[in-house]
Amino acid sequence: MSIIIIGAGEVGYHLAQRLSQEKQDVVVIDRDPEKIRRVQNSLDVQAIHGSGGSISLLRQAGIAEASLLIAVTNSDEVNMISCLVAGLQNKVPRKIARVRDPDYSALLPLFDKDHLDIDLVINPDREVVDMILKLMEVPGAVRVADFADGLVRMVGLPIQEGNPLIGNSLGEIRRKYPEANTLIVAIQRGGKIFIPKGDDVLQVHDLVFSVSARDNVNETIEILGNKRRTIKKVMILGGGLIGLQLAQGLENRDIQVKVIEQDEARCLEIAEKCHKVVALKPDGVLQDVMIEENVGEMDTFIAVTEDEESNVMLSLLAKKLGTKRVITLINKVVYSPLVHSLGIDVVVSPRLAALNRILQFLRRGKILSVSTLPDENAEAFEAVALETSDLVGRPLKDINFPKEAIIGAVVRDSQVIIPGGKTVIRPGDRVTIFTLTSAIPKVEKALTVKLEYW
Amino acid sequence: MSFSLLFYLVGFLNLILAGFMILPLLVDLIYKENQSLGLLISIAITAASGLLMNLLCRGNNKRELSHREGFAIVAFAWLSATFFGSLPYLLTGSLNNFTDAWFETASGFTTTGSTILTDIEKHSHAILFWRSLTQWMGGMGIIVLSLAVLPFLGIGGMQLYKAEVPGPTADKLRPRISQTARILWEVYVFLSGVELLLLFLGGMNLYDALCHTFSTMATGGFSPKNASIEFYRNPFIEYVITFFMFMAGANFSLHYRTLKGNLKYLWQDEEFCFYISLTLVSTFIITFVIWENTPESFEKAFRLSIFQVVSILTTTGFCTADFEKWPISAQLLLLFLMFIGGCAGSTGGAIKCIRIYILLKQGFKELRQIIHPHAIIPVKLGGKIVSPDTLSGIWALFFLYLIIFVIASLFLALLGVDLLTSISAVATTLGNVGPGLGTVGPTENFAHLPAAGKWILSICMLLGRLEIYTLLVLLAPEFWRK
Repeated sequence: MSIIIIGAGEVGYHLAQRLSQEKQDVVVIDRDPEKIRRVQNSLDVQAIHGSGGSISLLRQAGIAEASLLIAVTNSDEVNMISCLVAGLQNKVPRKIARVRDPDYSALLPLFDKDHLDIDLVINPDREVVDMILKLMEVPGAVRVADFADGLVRMVGLPIQEGNPLIGNSLGEIRRKYPEANTLIVAIQRGGKIFIPKGDDVLQVHDLVFSVSARDNVNETIEILGNKRRTIKKVMILGGGLIGLQLAQGLENRDIQVKVIEQDEARCLEIAEKCHKVVALKPDGVLQDVMIEENVGEMDTFIAVTEDEESNVMLSLLAKKLGTKRVITLINKVVYSPLVHSLGIDVVVSPRLAALNRILQFLRRGKILSVSTLPDENAEAFEAVALETSDLVGRPLKDINFPKEAIIGAVVRDSQVIIPGGKTVIRPGDRVTIFTLTSAIPKVEKALTVKLEYW
Repeated sequence: MSFSLLFYLVGFLNLILAGFMILPLLVDLIYKENQSLGLLISIAITAASGLLMNLLCRGNNKRELSHREGFAIVAFAWLSATFFGSLPYLLTGSLNNFTDAWFETASGFTTTGSTILTDIEKHSHAILFWRSLTQWMGGMGIIVLSLAVLPFLGIGGMQLYKAEVPGPTADKLRPRISQTARILWEVYVFLSGVELLLLFLGGMNLYDALCHTFSTMATGGFSPKNASIEFYRNPFIEYVITFFMFMAGANFSLHYRTLKGNLKYLWQDEEFCFYISLTLVSTFIITFVIWENTPESFEKAFRLSIFQVVSILTTTGFCTADFEKWPISAQLLLLFLMFIGGCAGSTGGAIKCIRIYILLKQGFKELRQIIHPHAIIPVKLGGKIVSPDTLSGIWALFFLYLIIFVIASLFLALLGVDLLTSISAVATTLGNVGPGLGTVGPTENFAHLPAAGKWILSICMLLGRLEIYTLLVLLAPEFWRK
């Protein structure tokens, strides 16, 4: 039983790291000797130099005993061919491939059992587009994650200066809004995430994670002091694959979109594929076009070019000029502790999104969906309450549940219940649990479900 | 540099060491030679210090090892093992000064086999058993052993593994370092078991068979007999030991692949082909020289020469003949072989066949480059290009090896040791071989050398075993700066 990862780029490397920490046997293949050396020096996995499409190399990597193949090189074609070759060698139980080109990924029959036979096709760009579109539905939120087929939504909202709730404890907030159908499950303060108790007091710059039924999200936002406003104008920097798909998605939601793209041919393509989107090609200085097109009046500025450093700089400029919210694409994991302190509202990373998607797919057992939180210190996931579980049959206040975890929502017969101390969980209920990574073993025990990787 | 982590891991190694010390204690219980008290105290001191280091330095050690911590841990582990491993000699009264005990233990763990015992057979069974056992532990490596049994070393394990396993590149057989280490030890134990059985069938008693197996598989060379293997005068035993020395001098990863797959892997491995060719050519030359110059029969000449060639090339150091009585051409060839040594990933020492082979290829490459000035001619090994980094690493090690050889033999000469002895003693200890020439030949020992000379030679052994850098890096002031 081993896992073969083809491609030791950002996604491949972090997958290998995560999976080897989970005590899996991992073999990494890459064509770049430098990347192989990096893997060899810092991870407890086997690293092989060569092409992932080569049969002899896959044999050397132990394809005969492999239980999973993950192809995440930069080339769609290599990824697909690797899966195909691996399938010829051994009926590898599961295959995952990264495919970016929409022309391929839209062609679903290509990946079915009769053809390439790939179990999960991930498109990091599409993941990012979906994530940004979801964020657009919740103004002010910096994180959005859905559970229970979209019935339950968790949002991460920053507490800005002047928020009337600052200085109030969670207990006081609850007394102030007894009708509120929402639960604050976690607070991120100064880079640290914790599960709050009733006497914890909200402070400025806290990031509050709150769970509610999807229909009540707007109410949650109002309670937490963010004005409810709809997004009307968005400027996108970068008209690549992500920029284009984003423009199309936003256009369908009746939002005015302006896209800035240096390449004229790309601009033409955007203009061709969209109806009302304005494609802008700056001649000379990019900043001038941003100012000329009133970046300060925008509700959201989204920087999704390939050049992450200029994404950061231009997002900061937009923010300075008055844009209400900036969303920035950053792939390098090393930068992530830095960006929030700079003042960027939301960071999206196609590679991290791909990583999360694969990890979710690999979770097994009764876990229905997972969402990993910033800096990977916490996880929110959804599970079915089993009859054997300690959670079932007694009011929650009598249950010895780990302090580092909290039940955010219970879904029973398509009804969302935000639990309180008297709530009793019944077998078959779908519970959304928020937990710090350190408490996962305890939560597993309480659920009698293992959160292990497949 | 985290010292707490360093002591924490060295503490574990001491516990493992103490565990191994129980074995000579059992031997003494059988032979009843009154060594038990000394051994018990040694075990107690080693175990207690291990526990103490472990308990005091527990705490925040769950993180990845840095490159330099890996080197520091391996170097300290070897120094500490040598120190604590010398306790049984001192506390049982077998040796009465620390210099001698340190020399003998270093010679054991580094699988050198040079000895300061003038009359080996007067020592107790338990001590001689410990002496061979240290070689067996050091052969495959105490760090590799601990990687196999201590699962928490996983993350930083590769750093430790690279710092201990000989050869220009350390290859992993399985995804996890602990699995790789376990496989290497399994192959090691398996081969040792087969040899033990064959030696026992060949007429050795169980005790002798065990001791010789330990020092053969480790390419060590300690024998509980004064006359080494010559004592038995048994061609079967000589051939068996020749075969297993040869196996121990080859790459253990290759053994694993061959055992799992088929024999063709052996012939596909360029280093192995070079190793076997070198053995056969040297044997042929020496057989011819002996046959020509002495009254021995051809079979005897062949047997003596193949035994001695394999023994020296694999850096074991067993003897079946006093090769100092052979013609000077044979002696000189053996001296050269001391520098070459076994294969990468074996228990053998010295520069290693693979490095010599790659350097030879580099030489031919330059020759071809003169003929085709514009050609791109990479140095290839096993169909793959040897990276310029690896190449320059090999050159640097080769040069450092020679420099250390020059400096150390100069020091010995300054202490008043004669020319041939100085040169051969350093060559033999730096290469972890065992016997030298001159006054430290196969029938003599190192006891008569001055104390300073013994220290220099024991440092040479450690430098040789850890392939110089691991130990030398501790002397660089930059290494200790934050």
